[in-house]
Amino acid sequence: MTETANHRATRVRGRLPRPLVIGGSILLLSLFIGTFPALFAPYDPNVFDYGALLQPPGFAHPLGTDNFGRDMLSRVIHAYTIDMQIAFFATVFAFVFGTIVGALVGYAGGIAEVLFGRVVDAVITFPFLVLVIAIVSVLGPGLVNMYIAVSVVGWVFYARIISAEIKVQKQLDYADAGRAMGYTHMRIIFIHLLPNSITPAVVYWMTDMALAILLGSSLGYLGLGAQPPSAEWGVLIADGKNFMATAWWISVFPGLAIVLTGLGFSLAGDGLAELLRVKR
Amino acid sequence: MKFLSVAALSAALMLGGLEAATAQERGGIMHYGRYADSIFIEPVLNDANVDIWIMANIYETLIVPTKDGKGLLPGLATEWSVNPAGDAVTLKLREGVKFSDGTPMTAEDVVWSLKRASNPDNGIWNFLVASIDTVTAPDALTIDIKLKHSDPTILSALSVFNTAIMQKARFEAMPGDTDQAKAEEYAKNPVGTGPFILESWDRGATMKLVKNPNYWGTGEDGKPLPYLDGVTFEVIPDDATRILKLQSGDLDGAEFIPFARVAELDADPDINMELFPSTKVNDIIMNVRPMLDGKPNPLMDDKVRQAMNYAANKDALVQVVTYGVGTPLTSFMSASTPMHAGDTPLYPYDLAKAKALMAESAYPKGFETSILILAGNQDDLGIATALQQMWGPLGIKLEIKQMDNASRTALYRKGTFTMRTGGWTNDIADASQITSYYAYSPLIDSRHTGWKNEEVNKLYEASQSEMDVAKRTKQFARIQEIFNSSGPILSMYATPYPVALRNNVHGFFQIPLGNNIFRETWIAK
Amino acid sequence: MQLLSFIFRRILHLLPTLLFILIVVFVLVRLLPGDPASAILGDRALDADVERINRELGLDRPLYVQFFAFLKSVVTGNLGDSIHLKIPVAELIKKRLPVTIMLTVMAALIAVVLALPLAFVAALKRTKPADAAIRGVFQVGLSMPVFYSGLILLTVFGAKLRWFPVGGYGDGFLDHIYHLFLPALTLAFSLSAILMRSLRSAIIDVLDAEYVQFAKAKGIGPGLVLMRHVLRNALISTVALFGLSIGTLLSGAVITESVFAIPGAGRLMIESIYGRDYPVVQGMTIALAVLVSLTFLLTDLVQAWLDPRVTR
Repeated sequence: MTETANHRATRVRGRLPRPLVIGGSILLLSLFIGTFPALFAPYDPNVFDYGALLQPPGFAHPLGTDNFGRDMLSRVIHAYTIDMQIAFFATVFAFVFGTIVGALVGYAGGIAEVLFGRVVDAVITFPFLVLVIAIVSVLGPGLVNMYIAVSVVGWVFYARIISAEIKVQKQLDYADAGRAMGYTHMRIIFIHLLPNSITPAVVYWMTDMALAILLGSSLGYLGLGAQPPSAEWGVLIADGKNFMATAWWISVFPGLAIVLTGLGFSLAGDGLAELLRVKR
Repeated sequence: MKFLSVAALSAALMLGGLEAATAQERGGIMHYGRYADSIFIEPVLNDANVDIWIMANIYETLIVPTKDGKGLLPGLATEWSVNPAGDAVTLKLREGVKFSDGTPMTAEDVVWSLKRASNPDNGIWNFLVASIDTVTAPDALTIDIKLKHSDPTILSALSVFNTAIMQKARFEAMPGDTDQAKAEEYAKNPVGTGPFILESWDRGATMKLVKNPNYWGTGEDGKPLPYLDGVTFEVIPDDATRILKLQSGDLDGAEFIPFARVAELDADPDINMELFPSTKVNDIIMNVRPMLDGKPNPLMDDKVRQAMNYAANKDALVQVVTYGVGTPLTSFMSASTPMHAGDTPLYPYDLAKAKALMAESAYPKGFETSILILAGNQDDLGIATALQQMWGPLGIKLEIKQMDNASRTALYRKGTFTMRTGGWTNDIADASQITSYYAYSPLIDSRHTGWKNEEVNKLYEASQSEMDVAKRTKQFARIQEIFNSSGPILSMYATPYPVALRNNVHGFFQIPLGNNIFRETWIAK
Repeated sequence: MQLLSFIFRRILHLLPTLLFILIVVFVLVRLLPGDPASAILGDRALDADVERINRELGLDRPLYVQFFAFLKSVVTGNLGDSIHLKIPVAELIKKRLPVTIMLTVMAALIAVVLALPLAFVAALKRTKPADAAIRGVFQVGLSMPVFYSGLILLTVFGAKLRWFPVGGYGDGFLDHIYHLFLPALTLAFSLSAILMRSLRSAIIDVLDAEYVQFAKAKGIGPGLVLMRHVLRNALISTVALFGLSIGTLLSGAVITESVFAIPGAGRLMIESIYGRDYPVVQGMTIALAVLVSLTFLLTDLVQAWLDPRVTR
């Protein structure tokens, strides 16, 4: 998206943009639940209750039970832990690595850029889910390997964004000034140019985190994501697929959690974009 | 008085007769939903259930299994006899049988087909008829088979798919130098004697079978079989979608209904939820080698395995994984396998006994271990999660690892896995196949577990040529006794084949070996 | 001429990319544990059978020999035969790839139809309830895993209301479109949400720009302003996003094809990975890579046409 030099702010200066407040609150709450699930969950999420299989939402189990008699409310709450972890760890390495590489390549230009372009093309051209499945199959199932697989492919998107931004920044006056003053390239890139380029990457990161949760759920459907008995929203939805007609609550509540959390990320991203946009 | 009773009697007879003859209706195409497509429809060189289970509709064998899989019926052969020594079989061929292209079936076709099936270079099923030495046709309707040794399983073997009769002249006329090449060409337009012909095959999507106008069989109305005009297989990998299509009426039948949905479909007034008896067993396979991954292997300890068996509540598993559809196993082989022995469920749930056994074992405090299950498979997930809970009180921490089939098979064949979910369906109506894979160590190290018992090995070898049924039954009984009490397997439950059919479908069945039989199926309008 | 040289340069760039992908897929697929024989034989696999089958397939030759054989086959255009299905890979690709292409193109079109007008409304009515409502609805669509939303659509519109067929592909072009509508809609949900968000943001950017304010002040009608400046910028963003999203679309197609029983390339790819059917995985990857690269070329051309500043 082209950023023009002059903007009219859409909010009152001095206050945080509303989407950021709402989104941020949702995320902070999610983070809190994820860190202290035991505070919120009434039951152990893994304990079977053979006497309470497939119970609809009721007094004893506000969100019902699943086919093993496990309390859904507790499982959805404990899933916050895993899903917030997925959101973070599946994206942060890609973000950091991609930003660094993108900054270096965007600044250097020339051969580096051409080579980088080829690598980017190659990575983006490969069907993402297939690559992730292949990598996870090679490395073995589980969350850590999923993070590796996702990061191996995901860094390219950040690098692309940053490299485009750095190229623009590089041509502005203050970059020339820096060079004239004899600063090292590294210093110019990371201390001067990068802070001004990082906005779109951060905004993308917010979206990416929400998408990472969804990817985790697709992998959960295929059995290659979080391993049982870990509660993870995607796995919970997949578990409930056979019970859509008879026990709808198994899939619906984790689905709502994904929607809410996704909303949090998306609002926070939009708000952050507004905040950082005006600052420039 | 007499007159009245005679009238009454004849009236009763007439009514009874009317009820019995629910007239089969002819015509119509049956749409059947499958979870996966076939791969290679060829009797000798195929590798997979997806091919085997529908092949009987295109290719036929000399002998045909009964509906319950335990007996034998005439197929392309009308009579047979085995000599007292058990090393020669004579069969009488059915007259007037034609291939689907109109060519008459000859004794030469039979001789050639059997020779090809028993050739050790061809495919993976030749072991079923490895005892065949020579096959000759003294006259146009007689087949003489001489065996290398007495083989009690030979008649059952002649009802297995790989001995189906194919057309020799047509096969040999196919382009290609190798058997494989010719077979691939032959399979493009398969010519067999079965009730259906392959009309078209849109890979991954639809397979259309149409009725064979030259089929020899006749229906109850005296007219030629099959009753249907054709069968169309639709490949629908997603269970939920397959069921949806059945419920909406687009499909007339659907296989592999998840157990969780059986009760729901049973209650549906338009659907007939069939649970065909099968030879399917579900178990846990444990690696019992002394060292695993460079460390001592707790599963090697007999007491540990017995404790794990006692702590695994099979009734609960049946409830929670199969929703009551399964039945606890009474032996490592299913009750519908000939020579099965055992009438009480193995290792009834006893947590106290399990704890006591653990205390006596070399690992009283428990240990950490892992199990490999099929990724995304709901049943495996249920089993592993339940066992995780059930073994917790013994101090056993179970880590669950999901893998795709190929990756798991690699570890399995290397013998480096710890534990895995497993199962078996027989390919032949006899106890020898499952026993050879599970208990006879020279074949594959007893399911790649490293388990070995010399007595069992000797008994198995003896059973392969023992013609006396009573003696043979005793041999297998003893094998099962030893294996069930000290083997590397945790036998859980047997499950039927869950097939849902619309109410107007009649005459379809799946035999315990898995074959889907459409021969006498008809659809009421 | 500048256009032709641009295209030529891009196609030239494609070659090293393809080679790189070729090497990666060849290595990756052979890193996967297991082999085609045991994948298919499963628990019945006997060592002798597995070895024989692997030998017949040439899988016991050293890797570099296999790789050069593979390279040769690619160059001569003969992609080999599928190990399991025993039919030529090229034939499989010809059958399955168009299905997936049609599915993704339909999904992209539906996404644009959904996202574009609503992004305008949301941008114009920004911070009002309509904006929040639109963004909320799209957020829900974005957050539902494809297998779930697909199943719901299939149940409601396919099985219950009978407006659409319950899965499958149909016969004939129009029938294909009819069958693919629901799955394309399912795929379009997440793409349209992403499109909507970035379009809305881009439109807001443009609306806020000073020169638009200036034009308004000079009395040029708001309608005209919208049409010329905003739409053009919006389209540029859309097209750029399309390129990046093609990967997401194809990934989503894999699961959609499973749920809706569509005989497409995505499902074939996954089944071939599970079955270790190397020739199919290799061949299909190259086909997909070429396809995606052509899509990029197309989107770049459209972008260049819309905004000549882009071509360097």
